Amino acid sequence: MAQLTTIGQLPLNQPPVHHYTAYRPRPFKREEREKVTILYGGLTWKHERLVQGAMHNMKYNAEPLPNIARDDLDAGKELIDVGACCPTIFTTGSLVNFLKKEVAASSKEEVANKYVFLTAGACGPCRFGQYHESYSMALDGLGLRDFRMFLLAQDELDQGPSGGGGLEINLPLSLGLIWGILFGDLLTDLEYMTRPYEVNPGQTDKVLQASVEYLYGVFRERPDHGAKYGTLAWHLLTNYFTRALREVRKMWDAIEVDRVRVKAKVKITGEFWLQTHEGERNYNIKRWLEQEDAEVVAPPVAVWLHYLLHPTIRKLEHRHSTSKHPRIEEALLHALERIYRWTYNRFRNALAGLPNELPDQEELRELAEPFYHFELRGGEGHMLIGKALHAYHHKKAHMICELSPYSCMPNTMSIGSMANVIGKYPDLLYAPIEVKGDSEVHALSRCQMILTEAKRRAQDQFDEVLKKTGLSAEKIRKYEERHPEVRRATYKVPHRGYSGTAANYVIHLAEDRGLARA
Amino acid sequence: MPFPTLRTWFEKKPSVEPPRKDRSHLRVGIAKVLNVWSTHQFWVGFLKELGISSENIVFSSDTSEEQGREFGKGRGTVDCCYPVKCISGHYGELVFGQKRNINILLSPMIHSLPSILHGHVVDTVTCTRVMAGPESIKAGFLKESDIFAENKILYASPFVSLGDRHMVTQQLFTSLKNIFDLDMEETARAVKAGFDALDNFTAKARQQSRDILTWCAENGKPCILVLARPYHMDPGIGHEIEGELQAHGYPILWLQYLPGDDDLVNWLFEEDVKTGRIKSPFDISDVWTSSYSSNTNEIMWGAKFATRCPWITCVVRLSSYECGMDQPTYTPAQKIVEATGTLYFKFGDLDSTKPGGGIKIRVETIVHYLSKYSAEIIQRKLNCLSPDCPLVGARRSDPAVST
Ligand code: SF4
Ligand code: SF4
Repeated sequence: MAQLTTIGQLPLNQPPVHHYTAYRPRPFKREEREKVTILYGGLTWKHERLVQGAMHNMKYNAEPLPNIARDDLDAGKELIDVGACCPTIFTTGSLVNFLKKEVAASSKEEVANKYVFLTAGACGPCRFGQYHESYSMALDGLGLRDFRMFLLAQDELDQGPSGGGGLEINLPLSLGLIWGILFGDLLTDLEYMTRPYEVNPGQTDKVLQASVEYLYGVFRERPDHGAKYGTLAWHLLTNYFTRALREVRKMWDAIEVDRVRVKAKVKITGEFWLQTHEGERNYNIKRWLEQEDAEVVAPPVAVWLHYLLHPTIRKLEHRHSTSKHPRIEEALLHALERIYRWTYNRFRNALAGLPNELPDQEELRELAEPFYHFELRGGEGHMLIGKALHAYHHKKAHMICELSPYSCMPNTMSIGSMANVIGKYPDLLYAPIEVKGDSEVHALSRCQMILTEAKRRAQDQFDEVLKKTGLSAEKIRKYEERHPEVRRATYKVPHRGYSGTAANYVIHLAEDRGLARA
Repeated sequence: MPFPTLRTWFEKKPSVEPPRKDRSHLRVGIAKVLNVWSTHQFWVGFLKELGISSENIVFSSDTSEEQGREFGKGRGTVDCCYPVKCISGHYGELVFGQKRNINILLSPMIHSLPSILHGHVVDTVTCTRVMAGPESIKAGFLKESDIFAENKILYASPFVSLGDRHMVTQQLFTSLKNIFDLDMEETARAVKAGFDALDNFTAKARQQSRDILTWCAENGKPCILVLARPYHMDPGIGHEIEGELQAHGYPILWLQYLPGDDDLVNWLFEEDVKTGRIKSPFDISDVWTSSYSSNTNEIMWGAKFATRCPWITCVVRLSSYECGMDQPTYTPAQKIVEATGTLYFKFGDLDSTKPGGGIKIRVETIVHYLSKYSAEIIQRKLNCLSPDCPLVGARRSDPAVST
């Protein structure tokens, strides 16, 4: 047994211990703002461009990362621990590939000084909560530990200057970002409800592009109303934004549509990143569905934001609260939730009420309750089940397509619970699609099977409505010739209890516009 | 909700405590899965206080492939990590495999956990699958017909934040009142009894770990720390890898029961606190910034503890196949441990089948390294700490290293 002789001091030949330290960005200073570009991503190109408008308005240089491409999967996998969910891999890979290209064109030092990355974070057991751990591992792998990355907490609008004052997450910035995201949602709704019915192929995309550019300018030129309550009041009450949306509506007026085309309506749900994404990383499934004769109901980010701020859902968030006035806070939160919905509806109305309404969060909770507790956190929580049942009961879609990333923790749980839902509602058409990044054919053929049934139902409904109203395609065409306004993309067809657009359109013409009596 | 009639309205409030409700006839089955492994004492204490006798509290057996085959077959609703997938077998065993039938199947949705790191981390919530696992598994027993009802079993799955004690009474009252015919006061009493039982058990287990470390310190012997989730203690999930190592004479510590006594942690983390790297010995923000998840936080703290504690010369990491929570922690945990030259071995992708041969070879490798390098590792780590080791009592400044 050897006795210790050197305790408490390192012997001469022992190298000092360097304990592992987590990534911490060096400060991004106020005076660097003009020289530094803020990178961000994870939404659609529409959202990202509008967010860019809001950032440019605040005098930040900002640039979205390029849309995720095929080789981002490999780049991500290479640098982070094995087994990550695919949104983590894709987003990491996209950042990695961007930085690699930039480094090749200049140098590591230059890239580390020229860019910072802003990502959503700080919220809970999985989703985003740990994304940045993977990003930082990737930065290590690239030898870019000096590169700066900052988290944007989704539930705090005023986080003050972070890490040196270069980036100040204050009310004007946060409101600009949120308004940009809401506008992105509204345009996305218009896009998906119009394109399948456009008479002149490609016109919707062109008008969409023009609308986004126009609104980018609207955000960039947003007037300054101070840093606190003045700006909040202005954002809520001004007609600056509604006026702009009415201009957008005029642009969409020009699109002629043919709503008698019978399409299966497919509601997309799923993991936040994957359902929002438009591109290769979810097999371009929204476009693919359109090619397969479907009308897509795209998932708005606004529903997620609504979920985040809903008082009932948020109760758990307050379990550590030390507030002296919990009741007042609760009341404020309720008011905020109402204002949020009111604002969204104001914007919808400026677009002729065309974009879809936000579902009532209380109803989603109640619908999901027998199957999935609303306080279960992570991913979309109970909303996946709530949304599926909401669409089913309110006849908002013929089928649900749920996009689930391979190895996503919360999504697997709600897909499991859906077995119970399907047991109770056997006629609910539900296609859970697991996205691995490399099994496209298999995933799409799975969706195809359910879609075939959805299309059959859409056709049956349409036939039923024709029969019920006594109308024929010819009679409708003649009416449309006399009333061309009903063929405008901005003509609002009310929901008349059918899932499909064509069926609702026919019954509307027959009963509301008196065509059946004509 | 019953509407108060005039008679009930004016009824005199009882001046003495109402007689205890007789629940001696109730038999409760608890699915021994996920974080029930670290909170089982709470549930036992809670139920006993409600008047359910120990013989009537039944836990499902340890996980096994046979259990899954016999009782869980055809009830799985989704493919995911094995600790969740195997729950179907546990439910099935409780429903179909009891000599005396149970009346209630209890499978809590545990949202947050008591943790030694409470107050030092952002949160102590569980993995989303740990919380939601019961919802997904129950679907397999309800999708075609209500298997629970057919077997005269009430299914109880309370959503409960065990890490936030002030919320637990209300949560359990709301979700279990109809099942156990509870009133608020007795729920509060039972919750208190549950936490007392859990705290007692945890304190004892931590003391045992301290005793092991003391023995190691006094005898200059190494030990092994298992870095895993609590349910890896289940032989069907962790495959008793630590048992095989123990058989070679190395004491085993589980991170869940590491001692957190001030004297010890202050000694281990003295330098870090002094230099401002961390605010307290339980602060993990130096290595893990997104400290929401309780088990993950503790894994990180366990790794920090191990890399500093001289007699933990080896860390064995267990992780289940397709574990999304462990995934981002692999590299940080390894780097934390290896910073002081502490040995680190990972058994990843654990699934239902025990990879027998593979484990045997690796265990032999680990044992080889342990015997070869432990003395050096102990010495090296001691060199980094002050001489005032709280473990060696009177012989404080004179701990020994066995070669
Ligand atoms: S919700 Fe799923 S896919 Fe998204 S971050 Fe969490 S685990 Fe990954
Ligand atoms: S922590 Fe990992 S192994 Fe445990 S339930 Fe979650 S995903 Fe599964």
